[in-house]
Amino acid sequence: MTDSFKMDNIPFSLLDQQEQALVNTNLDLAYFQQGEKIIAAGDVPEGVHVILKGRVRESEAGEDQQHVYVHYENEDYFGGWSALRGRAIHDFIAEEETICHILPTRILLELMQSNALFADYFQQDFAVKTEIAAQHGKGQDMAEFMLSKITSATIREPLIVDEGTSIRAATQLMRESKADCLLARKGGRFGMVTGTDLLDAVVLKGLALDSDVSDLASYRLVTADPDDYLFNALVMMTRQQIERVVVMSGQTLVGVVELTDVLSYFSSHSHVIGIRIERASSIDDLREAAQGLNDLIKALISTGVKIRFTMDLLAAMNGRIIAKLFDLVIPVDMQPHVCLIVMGSEGRGEQIMKTDQDNALLFRDGLSWAAMQQVMNSFSEQLISFGFPPCPGNIMVSNPEWVNSVGDWTQKLSDWAETCEGEAQMKLAIAVDAKPVAGNQALFKVARNWFLRHLRNNDVFFSHFARAAIEFDTPLTFFGNLKDKAELDIKKGGIFPIVHGVRTLALEHRILATNTYKRIEALIESGQLQEKEGKEISEALSLFVQLRLRQQMRRVEESDDGFDPTPNLIELQRLNKMERDLLRDALQVVKSFKKHLTLRYHLGG
Amino acid sequence: MIIPRTIRRLQDRRTHKSGPWANLFESYDGDEVVSLDCETTSLEVGQAEILSIGAVRIQGKKVKTSDRLDIRLKPPASLSGESIKVHKIRASDLVDGIELEDALEQLLNFIGNRPILGYYVNYDIRVIDKFLRPLYGFGLPNKAIELSHVYHDIIKWKHVGGDVDLRFDTIASKLDIPIIQRHTALGDAITVALMYVRLKHGQSPSHTH
Repeated sequence: MTDSFKMDNIPFSLLDQQEQALVNTNLDLAYFQQGEKIIAAGDVPEGVHVILKGRVRESEAGEDQQHVYVHYENEDYFGGWSALRGRAIHDFIAEEETICHILPTRILLELMQSNALFADYFQQDFAVKTEIAAQHGKGQDMAEFMLSKITSATIREPLIVDEGTSIRAATQLMRESKADCLLARKGGRFGMVTGTDLLDAVVLKGLALDSDVSDLASYRLVTADPDDYLFNALVMMTRQQIERVVVMSGQTLVGVVELTDVLSYFSSHSHVIGIRIERASSIDDLREAAQGLNDLIKALISTGVKIRFTMDLLAAMNGRIIAKLFDLVIPVDMQPHVCLIVMGSEGRGEQIMKTDQDNALLFRDGLSWAAMQQVMNSFSEQLISFGFPPCPGNIMVSNPEWVNSVGDWTQKLSDWAETCEGEAQMKLAIAVDAKPVAGNQALFKVARNWFLRHLRNNDVFFSHFARAAIEFDTPLTFFGNLKDKAELDIKKGGIFPIVHGVRTLALEHRILATNTYKRIEALIESGQLQEKEGKEISEALSLFVQLRLRQQMRRVEESDDGFDPTPNLIELQRLNKMERDLLRDALQVVKSFKKHLTLRYHLGG
Repeated sequence: MIIPRTIRRLQDRRTHKSGPWANLFESYDGDEVVSLDCETTSLEVGQAEILSIGAVRIQGKKVKTSDRLDIRLKPPASLSGESIKVHKIRASDLVDGIELEDALEQLLNFIGNRPILGYYVNYDIRVIDKFLRPLYGFGLPNKAIELSHVYHDIIKWKHVGGDVDLRFDTIASKLDIPIIQRHTALGDAITVALMYVRLKHGQSPSHTH
């Protein structure tokens, strides 16, 4: 029709030129007074309404109008569902003077028939919508290269030798084929031998040149599926500190992916930072390496790496920094008797910017180490100097409350579980996301397993613990207020309910994973969540985290001191139409998840 | 200007009462209005040539943009630098334009005997009449509704002792109506239609600036 109708807004952007022309010639404009009912429940709507100017609320039918479902405003569309269903089940009322474009139902149906993607967008649930939006959006959350899989392009043909091949022959072969590793076959298994292994064997161990290479090989291969993302291979290499990953399709060997090949895909040198962390021989070296991390995150975000992968990589990096610092600060003879754990978002592997330190130390019952607290204080101080801000709740090892023997720790956990008081519940929520990062992990596992057993079938606890997830209202009626300085606290409104709800479910079903996405996957697998529901929750969480991150980074850049005082704030007017749409849908997902929790844990009333 | 036109209309009506365009002269009793706008080469009726004509029907509170007239004409010889600056229409934009005769026929069929709404609508009607009369022997017989008068009538009670600002953009912003494709005939016709619907059916505009 005219430029007043934005064809580049999803879902109309999914239409081809001819279909858009059809929309163009069939739109009408309608004017509604403030308070006028645009569509009344039970009416047959004329078609989809797209707001040119104004604000509309969708609310429960009836005179009292108490429950408002959603607000719509500029460029939003409404009435699509009602048009498809034939009749509206809610009232749509102009909250202020409103001008709408109207696309007749007849044309809508015609378009849905000719364009499957458009039809999907109108009919499908949230997870499908985000996928369509991601594919057709400006690629904000996924760059092309991030989607590259470990397929043929980067897989190298492995050099395979049989058992009995001598070191000399193997070296010769590697030189000829310019490979720097080979796979030795022993029985039905493959083992990896690298150039370094050969060197070590001959020079350091003094083995004869005719010894069998298959004896040098390492048979615990780190493998990846060819359909996996290349980025995951990089995370794997970073985490395991290796330079190649064997690609296996089921039981069949496909080839080897080398670090250098992967790196050539990524402009930012995550592994380089990883190596620097590993080689750091002093705290100063380590600090310098840690500071390179911020640039890496920025690079990843700006190239559009999917948020979950970024979190994975960052969690791996942060974990290694902390582990390395632990190595440097804790005396070697004490290391086997203590275990450093990270908790909260760090434990879940979900922090993006360097978040507050949430850490604790467990030590063997009866350990006597006089200088322990003093060492812990300096540990916390060092982390602060690395750019990990101190925890405002003082949940860190410099606080003696968080330095415990295994016995005291389990006692604390069960004490917290028995009180209904808010602070104890919060501490518990943080503690159950704990993950060991350095020292003797067995200490941690003993405590955790004891606690999970302890909670078994304690319905009263779970019901109480779950309640926090439904405490904050889902801010769905926020959207109308864009004209005012509309902001919402995305942590309260979206992130926390998901994370805490999933945490509760995971705890109840004794799922060991701490990462929310992995917990969701495990809950789906064990049948506690429906697959569709689980996927939607994951997508919703990713969306919240991503929107939050983008606004955080902008605020950090605009501030003088590089500090964002309102990290959980989403300013709605900075979102585009598509993001607002998705945000609204994601909040709907949160709402129905909360309903699920309410039923599951009898939280109603 | 208004009185001569009224007299002429009576004359035309007598002459064409039984002609092929008789229905144009019947009095209109429906609830529709046609919002009309022309882009021309000059603001002097005598020199003006029509470049494009846009029109939409208004039906109650609805602007039927799906049923609209959006005509571009063949470039007239007089297409000058001055008007190009206003409309951003160059001769090359009008290469697909149609002949004036065809345009007028489409226009008459579209408007029928409905009232014509516009912003300074008499100007548009006079320009159209200038070309219509030699071909058909009559001018547009329709009732004319002047948007700025409708606006003025509603606003003046609140504006004691002051002149009312009747500029297009001022009216649009007072009424909080988005301006749609300014300086295209169709865009202006739609904007005027929305302003009219707003004035007819909405509350009277507030006076905050």
